[in-house]
Amino acid sequence: MLMPKKVKHRKQMRGRMQGKAIRGGSLSFGEYGLQALEPCWMTARQIEAGRVAITRHAKRKGKLWVRVFPWKPITKKPTEVRMGKGKGDPEFWVETVKPGRILYEIEGVSEQVARRAMQLAAHKLPIKTRIVSRELGELR
Amino acid sequence: MNLTIKAEKRESGGKNFARRIRREGNVPAILYGPGTENVPLVLKKRDLFDILKSETGENTIFQVLYDKDKPDVMIKDYQQDVTTDEILHVDLIHISMDKEIRVTVPIILTGDAVGVKTEGGFVEFVTREVEVECLPNDIPENISVDISELHLNQSIKIEELASIERVKVMSDPNYVIAMVEAMAAEEVVEIEEEEEEIMAEGEQPEVIKKEKAEEEGKAEETKE
Repeated sequence: MLMPKKVKHRKQMRGRMQGKAIRGGSLSFGEYGLQALEPCWMTARQIEAGRVAITRHAKRKGKLWVRVFPWKPITKKPTEVRMGKGKGDPEFWVETVKPGRILYEIEGVSEQVARRAMQLAAHKLPIKTRIVSRELGELR
Repeated sequence: MNLTIKAEKRESGGKNFARRIRREGNVPAILYGPGTENVPLVLKKRDLFDILKSETGENTIFQVLYDKDKPDVMIKDYQQDVTTDEILHVDLIHISMDKEIRVTVPIILTGDAVGVKTEGGFVEFVTREVEVECLPNDIPENISVDISELHLNQSIKIEELASIERVKVMSDPNYVIAMVEAMAAEEVVEIEEEEEEIMAEGEQPEVIKKEKAEEEGKAEETKE
């Protein structure tokens, strides 16, 4: 499962998920990408599930970039434990995703394969997403 | 060059006013350049769409008509909403037709690489834009790069670009434009990977601070 090799602090505060993505909001590597339209804490399992879905559909052709990494530890208290006595232990790792964030990028496959692969990955994620491409789309 | 768009001067600033402008189908803009004062403007979205969708795209040189002034300008930058793609703001820059300017020009790949057709690779398009310096009238629409000779694991760099008359390429010559990469090997045993993942789940990452504190403690002990 994805998680950092070294951390400065074992536990973090929860933080906020306000606003839209300031960085990581445009395609930087590939021809097609999957963009988040809602904020969420995306767990390492969800990121990995999306990656597996894309690579399986693309049959390991082309190149995939995963633009998110779960840097944030989330703690949980054990069941049936009374409140207090300090913060719980780290349970899993997440990435704080804001609307506009590019999650995956793909290159070297046809548009049809890329779109279907992204669609399959989107089903593994807890938020609404959209598929973006390099072509200048409809301007608003 | 012949394109002229009408603009109004923007009197006040602030997000309330900017939002009102956007609601009316217009876009707040700013015009600046060397030796001139900044002029806040209001542009019509339709005019901007025509410019951006034209063949020259962002590098289109046009004239803005406001207060009887009609300077030559081009789009320096524009902001878009990340989720809706709505144009939020445009930066226009004064252009002097006899001074060289630096602009980015898109690269277009032409031809089917040998490495893709016969050797089973795929093309990775690494650098999609190149920075050039030239007179405003000489800005190329795009720079086409022929990749038909590329074999597997071969690349084409900016230094290999064919020279264009009156256009100086300013990007790093060592940058790779495109390369033909081999497909990743087939996934052999997926079950093993999954087992590894489960095992790794219980692990915790190393804490940097803790290590340092311990080291410092040891150092103090040795001093004593």
